[in-house]
Amino acid sequence: PGLQVAGTAQEATEVLCLMNMVSKEELEDDEEYEGIMEDVREECSRYGEVVSVEIPRPVGGVDIPGVGKIFVEFGSADQCSKAHSALAGRKFANRVVVTWCAMLCLACLV
Amino acid sequence: PEEPARKKRKSRWASETVRTAIPGLPTVMPANMNEQQQQLYILHLKIEETSRQLRSGDLGIPLNPADRSPSPEPIYSHDGKRLNTREVRTRKRLEDRRHDLIQEAITLNPEYRPPTDYKAPNRKIED
Repeated sequence: PGLQVAGTAQEATEVLCLMNMVSKEELEDDEEYEGIMEDVREECSRYGEVVSVEIPRPVGGVDIPGVGKIFVEFGSADQCSKAHSALAGRKFANRVVVTWCAMLCLACLV
Repeated sequence: PEEPARKKRKSRWASETVRTAIPGLPTVMPANMNEQQQQLYILHLKIEETSRQLRSGDLGIPLNPADRSPSPEPIYSHDGKRLNTREVRTRKRLEDRRHDLIQEAITLNPEYRPPTDYKAPNRKIED
């Protein structure tokens, strides 16, 4: 609602969604948060131009939608899909990275 | 082998050569899942990973002692054996974590069946 996405039927997007990488406790810690941001940005840059990184944080102990996910916007759908297959199954902070690449991801941000 | 103190911050990413495959749970999430299915999927994955660690004994204790957290005061049994070794503490933490994850999965999906080697702990009431 309120969000009109033109041509939602496209098969590829520039936004990659990464899951199972961070805990709420880590997100609440400023220093940890900055470090996670930096690590994600650095690694993703190897696969293309990183336009933006969104890491939703809990606000005042309250969960907001998307907490636990990391959204990375790439310069092109091609770069996004490269990162998608390269990062799935990698380990981040000792956790297995799950990737999800779909326009549906954008819906999680709303 | 001793490593020189690293100036550079250590990345949370493990080496590219480490790729994990979990049978039945692909690390590329199926695209057609809704928010709740995704949550459950991630939970299953975490439970499976923790179970695998407990079964294999690969508890994820850093090889380099410098990367380990400080130990609490040792506790010994009557015959002088240390009770709270790092392995015991780590195993306990993983079991507790798995228990919490399983409870969460059951709340989300009452049909959820925990792994066969899972036993609900008799939790002592603390505090």
